[in-house]
Amino acid sequence: MSDVAWLFVAFLAVWAGIGAYLFTIAARQRRLERRLEDLESRR
Amino acid sequence: MKGSHSLDRLRLLGAAAWAAVAVSLALIFFVAREAVAAMGGQLQRIFYVHVPSAWIAYLAFAIVFVASIAFLRTNSRRWDLLAHAAAEVGVVFCTLVLITGPIWARPVWGTWWQWDARLTSAFVLWLTYVGYLFLRSFATDPGRAGRVAAVVGIAGFVNVPIVHFSVRWWRTLHPQGPTPADPSTGSGLGAPEMLAFFVSLAAFTLLFAYLLAVRVRLGRLADRAEAVEVLDARDRHPVEATA
Repeated sequence: MSDVAWLFVAFLAVWAGIGAYLFTIAARQRRLERRLEDLESRR
Repeated sequence: MKGSHSLDRLRLLGAAAWAAVAVSLALIFFVAREAVAAMGGQLQRIFYVHVPSAWIAYLAFAIVFVASIAFLRTNSRRWDLLAHAAAEVGVVFCTLVLITGPIWARPVWGTWWQWDARLTSAFVLWLTYVGYLFLRSFATDPGRAGRVAAVVGIAGFVNVPIVHFSVRWWRTLHPQGPTPADPSTGSGLGAPEMLAFFVSLAAFTLLFAYLLAVRVRLGRLADRAEAVEVLDARDRHPVEATA
């Protein structure tokens, strides 16, 4: 593999990692908001 | 009203962080020059994300340390939330350090990993805070888990200076890097590279502040949902709740 390919893999890993973390936070937030809406509508 | 203001501030922080990331990427690829072959040539550009990720992991674990002490002293949920959020974001960045390091090492050293002082202590640091997160996720008593996790968060921080100074205290393969007294020492960096490095450091710090704020907000939302759930259970089963 060329140096540029290794460089690409490293930067991809960093930004995909941060992107994936942001995605999981957003998914957890959506799930919690739905649960909260459901609970509050029952009360 | 207060909520919408804080959401606006969060969005502003996010926009500033991503703008800084865009500027730092431009500097890394279009301003910083290729390093000497001994530093990996083109591959040395990994340094601009590897070192800031390590700095953020240190910063995050320092926040865990301070917030854990404050939590044990005050028993305030606010500090516990902050420690938990900082540990999670810190583990993300520490993971990135442990991924980008071997990607640089494989073509430059000819091996993915060496069990030398820097790499081993960094791996132990990562394991400590992954353990911290597992402890919080699988505990049956969240109150007790928070206090035990705080002790782990305080004890785990002892490893941060060991990781940082390991390259000076022991003989390791890992490059020594710059010192605060002479930032260019050991790094082989000139002015354009130093500019790219410090802008990348600032961008990662802004990004960390944004991720931390988002994660704290998520923790508050989880607390609110849990509180409403308790009230809901009390309304539906008043006898059991009072018993």
